[in-house]
Amino acid sequence: MNTRRLLSFVAVMAGIILLSTPLFAHHSTAEYDMANVSSIKGTVTKFEWSNPHAYIYIQAKDDKGNSVDWTGELASLGMLARVNWKRDTVKAGDEITMYGNRAKDGRSVMRLEKIVFASGQELTAQVR
Amino acid sequence: MRRNWPKAWATAGAAVLIFLPAMFAQTAKPAKSPAAPDITGVWIIDQFHPALFPKGTTPPLTPWGEAQFKKADTLVNDPNLACLPEGIPRIMAVPLPMQFFQVPDMVLIYIEAGNQLRQIHLNRGHRDDVGPTYNGDSIGKWDGDTLVVDTTGFNEVTWLDHVGLPHSDQLHVVERIRRVDHDTLVDDFTIEDPKAYTKPWSSSQTYHLKPGWEIAEYVCDNNKYIYHTDK
Repeated sequence: MNTRRLLSFVAVMAGIILLSTPLFAHHSTAEYDMANVSSIKGTVTKFEWSNPHAYIYIQAKDDKGNSVDWTGELASLGMLARVNWKRDTVKAGDEITMYGNRAKDGRSVMRLEKIVFASGQELTAQVR
Repeated sequence: MRRNWPKAWATAGAAVLIFLPAMFAQTAKPAKSPAAPDITGVWIIDQFHPALFPKGTTPPLTPWGEAQFKKADTLVNDPNLACLPEGIPRIMAVPLPMQFFQVPDMVLIYIEAGNQLRQIHLNRGHRDDVGPTYNGDSIGKWDGDTLVVDTTGFNEVTWLDHVGLPHSDQLHVVERIRRVDHDTLVDDFTIEDPKAYTKPWSSSQTYHLKPGWEIAEYVCDNNKYIYHTDK
């Protein structure tokens, strides 16, 4: 078996192995109001560093001063890393403002465009 | 005159030894044919379009196709929510990078979405001993500067796009992949599926080159949704 044949064999085996592994649950943006961007300010309760999406959970206040839990959905970890996000970029207790597209069905979920920290530092959540 | 056989054999042996590397070099298949354009590199779609068909319209669905499309709910029964593969052509429309490799007899596409490796076999016909599968059996050939990829052998689990266009196990996808300039790759594809569509239809995806990008790990470890096949 020469080197090229060996490489070909390895590539085929790698394909068989890779295609037999569990995949991922990336979903479409159809559930979000992509035409409008709004913002929610609150305190981070949890940052979930996971695929297919990372999530920021914050506690915000509604118009009447009641606590409301919001979820910010981010891209995949690979894409976030490409715009300098790390697993400790956001921490519980951080005061942040989330900008993004709200869920069409009224749930307190938003697809994030960017976040802004209390210091004014901005961090994009989208890879252009 | 009597021949000096040992000397003759020695000369012949030396000639074989001298030309051996050249003989092997000629029999070894090149990584790609000299005429094959270079489409290697990391590419990502230009713009994410959840629907493959023009906005607000659908392709010519058969009654069966129409019924399947009505059942599609992106929040409930998108097969992708259950970490299942996207299948073809949807995988080529996911907003994550893909790395193209050209190796002997194959074009390989290492797709960040789920870290899938798509195989396009260049020097064989369709196999009849595999399938139905999520990604089907892809064979390809170069037509000038265009890689023509023919895929059949699908199951009926996947959607064609992110909004739920259906297909059956009769799906036949033909892709024409071409590097239109250094930074741009285009995949024009035609969908043929007599069970789901009354006639073939076409769409297209455009990708741009991402020099310096590497494919990242992508393990589906956080399913937020529940997949209900009965809805």
